[in-house]
Amino acid sequence: MMQRLVRGMRRALGLHHPGRNLEVWPDDIFILSFPKSGNTWSRFLIANLVYPETPADFSNINRLTPDPEALSKRELARMPRPRIIKSHQYFDPRYKRVIYIVRDPRDVALSQFHFHRKRGLIDDGYSQEKFVSRFVAGETSPYGSWGENLAGWLATRQNRPGFLLLRYEDMLEDAARELNKVGSFLGIPLGAERVANAVRRSTVDEMRKLEKSQAHLWSSTQSTRQDVPFVRAAKAGGWKTGLPEAAVAQLEGAWGHLMTYLGYELLFPAKTTDFDSQFVEALLHGPSR
Amino acid sequence: MIYGIKRVLNYALGRDIAGHTLAVRPDDTFIVSYPRSGNTWTRFLVANLLHPQEAATFANIERLVPDAEAQSSRYMLRIPSPRTIKSHSYFDPRYPRVIYIVRDPRDVALSYYDFSRKYGHIEDSYPLERYIGDFVTGRLSSADWGTWGENVASWAFARGARPGFLLLRYEDMKALPDRELTRIAKFLGIPASPNQLQTILDRSSADRMREMERTQGKDWVSTKDKRSDIPFIRTASVGGWKNQLRPESVAEIESAWGNIMVHLGYELVTHTAESRVTQLAGETVLGEQRG
Repeated sequence: MMQRLVRGMRRALGLHHPGRNLEVWPDDIFILSFPKSGNTWSRFLIANLVYPETPADFSNINRLTPDPEALSKRELARMPRPRIIKSHQYFDPRYKRVIYIVRDPRDVALSQFHFHRKRGLIDDGYSQEKFVSRFVAGETSPYGSWGENLAGWLATRQNRPGFLLLRYEDMLEDAARELNKVGSFLGIPLGAERVANAVRRSTVDEMRKLEKSQAHLWSSTQSTRQDVPFVRAAKAGGWKTGLPEAAVAQLEGAWGHLMTYLGYELLFPAKTTDFDSQFVEALLHGPSR
Repeated sequence: MIYGIKRVLNYALGRDIAGHTLAVRPDDTFIVSYPRSGNTWTRFLVANLLHPQEAATFANIERLVPDAEAQSSRYMLRIPSPRTIKSHSYFDPRYPRVIYIVRDPRDVALSYYDFSRKYGHIEDSYPLERYIGDFVTGRLSSADWGTWGENVASWAFARGARPGFLLLRYEDMKALPDRELTRIAKFLGIPASPNQLQTILDRSSADRMREMERTQGKDWVSTKDKRSDIPFIRTASVGGWKNQLRPESVAEIESAWGNIMVHLGYELVTHTAESRVTQLAGETVLGEQRG
């Protein structure tokens, strides 16, 4: 009870991190993804596009694109509007303008494996197959499994106004092209130079340099192992050499239908005849408002 | 400030409504649906299945199958495991085992209209056509449920035909109650003889529930202090929308969620070239789903 009283007091004063209980405003914009899917890169790109006068770095990124897991309720309430909020949350009907970044779950699983090493949640020798089993079961993050997180958003929002789906792999291929989509989604007047500047300020080299000098200033890298980087490979297809085949089979068995829809080629033959696959068809090619 | 202190105290004492802050246990089972989709009927069926020695009533249902969105955190904490919990929440990844009931949104909308009048959310004079518009945009529904399409699609798509998820259609439960009750019993791992199943269906019949609403409506959190001239247990029927909803209202619902409806086996009456294509896809899916 004392614990709940202290928590209740912090809550009343607005000192807690609201996370899922964030007070949402109708003009809020969300940069959403499952963890380890290019969210931080997207935050840098979008912040540098929207606020060209303030180059994004690890010391200001939480203010430019606020994170409800890292800032207090009070700080979030005082942010200038419209806020561009970073989030990993599973479907929330209150979020009306959403940019959702999706990444090949085989690369996501590999990246999260290394991130969990960085945070000291698992040892360096932890079995990758075991990690992937837990990843598929949704036990490695509080935001649902990769498939649940994505499916919840796609099922409710894909092909409807206020939702922009971006693939991390497409951003790697041509960041300026994808950033142009973001610009039109946000209704920002675009120029080739403005976009090019945003891309240049957000390159992986630039971000690695910033991580080196500022890791201690940022909520997501403070008090984590410094020998494992946060900004990791920043490429697509690392799973081909980085994950055992059995782990790949597990991931594809669970989410082959979603991966196929997203254009991620499967290593093993897809199981295409189940409820899910047909639901993908019905939802994604059916009538929309 | 006084309000703030009260909130802190309520929270500290666990008197706040559990809702999304409910502490979920790994052995919890949830009965989930959008409001007005047969959740209370299913609650009674499940309660009578789990507790053959104590017939479910409006006076004991909150103990047998508590409502996470009506009860406090402390109340929910005191329910012994394994709990079976009622909810209207849109997809929540923390719910480990879920019985999800879906009902034709055209009937749901009609039922919700009466419910909203019963609860005093709208006046009797509020036009039904306008209400349907609100239903589709979610303007009058709680942000805890989302719209019908958001609620149904988020659950069905995230959990689909996976273990630990049982998808029921209200219409199938009405048409073949013993078959659907058998599926529920199997899902919960409870053996039940045909005689026992019949007793459960009798104890959960619409007539019996109407009678209980009359005598015990004041004892139940969902009906007390609400208008008693509009019943909570309404028609308990299928297809009322066909003669009570205007074609424009039907078209509004179907254009918002036609793809989800077809996939779940609800035939559209507002035909467009696009919706006919998805209808074909829907039929094959349903065949497999029922098999």
